[in-house]
Amino acid sequence: MIIIKMKHINHNEKCLCTISSSSELEKIRNFVILCAEKFGFDDKESHNIALAVDEACSNLIRYGFKYNSKHDIQVNISSNDEHKFVVSISDNALPFNPTKVESPNMEEYFRQFKKGGLGIHLMKLVMDEIDYIPKSKNNPRNTLLLKKYLKI
Amino acid sequence: MSIDEKFKVETEILKHDVLCMKLNGFLDAHTAPILENAVQSAITENNFKIIMNFEKLDYISSAGLGVFMSFIEEIRSNNGDIKMTGMNDKVFTVFDLLGFPMLFDISPNTDELMTKFVDYDNH
Repeated sequence: MIIIKMKHINHNEKCLCTISSSSELEKIRNFVILCAEKFGFDDKESHNIALAVDEACSNLIRYGFKYNSKHDIQVNISSNDEHKFVVSISDNALPFNPTKVESPNMEEYFRQFKKGGLGIHLMKLVMDEIDYIPKSKNNPRNTLLLKKYLKI
Repeated sequence: MSIDEKFKVETEILKHDVLCMKLNGFLDAHTAPILENAVQSAITENNFKIIMNFEKLDYISSAGLGVFMSFIEEIRSNNGDIKMTGMNDKVFTVFDLLGFPMLFDISPNTDELMTKFVDYDNH
């Protein structure tokens, strides 16, 4: 059984909680697109934000949880600043900070027919800011923050 | 929704032994193994000239792009190629952001891609 909870925490904050399975990616994207469009992003920008969230969650499912779907992923949208859209993704996997990963040189990547490692690069290309807060003694969950500014 | 409803591949042999793979739905980390199997089957049957038709593909993530990267070397070493057509703006953006047009022929014109396959054979 799939457990999905969508809570409206307050007017400016929305949350989706799913199991850690790739079967949930479509639901996660739809949730993010809905929120981004409501915030004022156009079709293409909303798609790009959902893509970044998809990439982050795909990496979590594959590397963080090694395809074990018994964990959960929480996707939280907050928009307290009227121009700043923040998606926070929280998990209880081993911490992994994607902001520390160097972006590939794509010419080199293609010359050597490399595989994988493009998700984080895409995330960085489409978002304005990315932050990562690893879990700690006081906080059992890692949080990845993906931020995008609405241009006026 | 079952995985087959999320993503499908239909194959069709065109002229000059070119195989057309029509992608339909969402290509993400969940559905990419379906495309991987389809391309693997094509290669096993010695179909190395492939046109990917994206007309009915609504979404792609890096997991989908990874499928093309994992086969292109083998396909080219067998005098074949993966050429691409019919992308909508959002799908093309993902390819373009990462520079994929450096490595792949991407064109809205299927005839042009077909001509490239024929010209290559005549060389």
